[in-house]
Amino acid sequence: MNKKSRLFRLVDVLLLSLAAAPLVGGVVLQVLTKPPSQGISISGARIHFTLPAPLQALPITEAQINSWIVIVSLFFLCLYMTHGLAVRPETKRQVIAEWLIEQTESLVANNMGPYFKGFAPFVAAIMGLSAVSSLLTLLGMYPPTSDLNVVGGWALLVFFLITYYKLKAGPLYYLKSFAEPVAFLTPLNVIGEIATPVSMAFRHYGNILSGSVISVLVAAALQGLSRMVLGWLPGVLGSIPFLQIGLPAVLSIYFDVFSGCLQAFIFAMLTMLYIANGFPADEYEKRKSHKQNKVKQA
Amino acid sequence: MQTLDVISVNVWLMLISLLNLLILFLLLKKFLYKPVQNMLAKRQEAVDKEYAEAAEANEKAQQDQADWQERMEHAQEQADRILHDAAATAQEHSDRMIAAAKEKAAGVMRQAEAEAVLERQKAEDDMKREIVDVSAKLAEKMLGRELRHEDHQAIIDTFLDEIGESYDTTK
Repeated sequence: MNKKSRLFRLVDVLLLSLAAAPLVGGVVLQVLTKPPSQGISISGARIHFTLPAPLQALPITEAQINSWIVIVSLFFLCLYMTHGLAVRPETKRQVIAEWLIEQTESLVANNMGPYFKGFAPFVAAIMGLSAVSSLLTLLGMYPPTSDLNVVGGWALLVFFLITYYKLKAGPLYYLKSFAEPVAFLTPLNVIGEIATPVSMAFRHYGNILSGSVISVLVAAALQGLSRMVLGWLPGVLGSIPFLQIGLPAVLSIYFDVFSGCLQAFIFAMLTMLYIANGFPADEYEKRKSHKQNKVKQA
Repeated sequence: MQTLDVISVNVWLMLISLLNLLILFLLLKKFLYKPVQNMLAKRQEAVDKEYAEAAEANEKAQQDQADWQERMEHAQEQADRILHDAAATAQEHSDRMIAAAKEKAAGVMRQAEAEAVLERQKAEDDMKREIVDVSAKLAEKMLGRELRHEDHQAIIDTFLDEIGESYDTTK
């Protein structure tokens, strides 16, 4: 099937545009709702509206909306990549999809072992959501990863997973593991346990936010420098911050692209390592064989 | 427009974010990993099948080859035997023909010999008679009278026999 049917092409175009539409919508929303900036301001995500909720009001923020944009976009991208799968690959996107899946699967298998084979899509979800969220800054949108609540939610999920797999060997074993290697270290162990998700969340959020802050500060500083050095130029020329050309772009490549992808990778790696290390494989095997023996005896 | 604080903690936002990640995980699993993994499994199956078929074909080819080799050897043997048989038959045939020819030739020779003997006998008799006649006529002429034929005949016969014997001995 060298020549794709028209319907096939139509679906392709439709899926691609559906993947792009949320991003375009996000940019449009940003343009429509963002107030003109007044000087240097470093603040959290803008709140579109607030819903009443028990315990704490629920604000619907840019970060939430941008997260959903990323999810919808990635979903349609998945549909596009798996559209027209064939045993003999005919499309580049199939090769890319296979490569992605093989890479994530081998990464998970290498870092977590065969027991956690099903974690490949989860790790891919963390990487994709985190990286694309961070890269939203390239479109001028607010990156959800610089909101502590977003990254904190992910870290919380990872914490639940760590605890779930630790509990696989029984609640008693789990509790006993806090008193290792000696009993009086228990408070430290508890703190360490809680510190895991907190440190993960703050690391990711802090890196992305600090990138934005540094970018804003450098841009502002360059503007001031430009006014100081080139202010003598006549008319409009004097008010154009020429020195802002160049350096902010380099910083953006580092903070937005490189740091964004790196933090996504780090978050995924930490997730894998914490879950795999927390899982007491030997004890779990022992329990399992013990249970099987009991079943046999009964 | 209001904004969140730079460091703000909101339980609901965290919960939403947690669910977002879960939802994306499920979406990726269902719409990216499952189809591609199914396809990869199918490909593996197809490859395995191809390999099995190739192995089968190879085995069959080898068997065929062995079969043909055996048959060829058989054919060689058969050809040898046929040639051998043919040669033997031809030899026998030719022997028989030669023998027949020889016999025939011997028969012809024998007949010819017998005929020759007969001819000779006849010729001898003829000569004898001629000589008798000539000598009788000669004697008649010499004596001037006619001899009695029977007497004469007797004399000449004895004479001729003597000559014949002496001739035979001298020969």
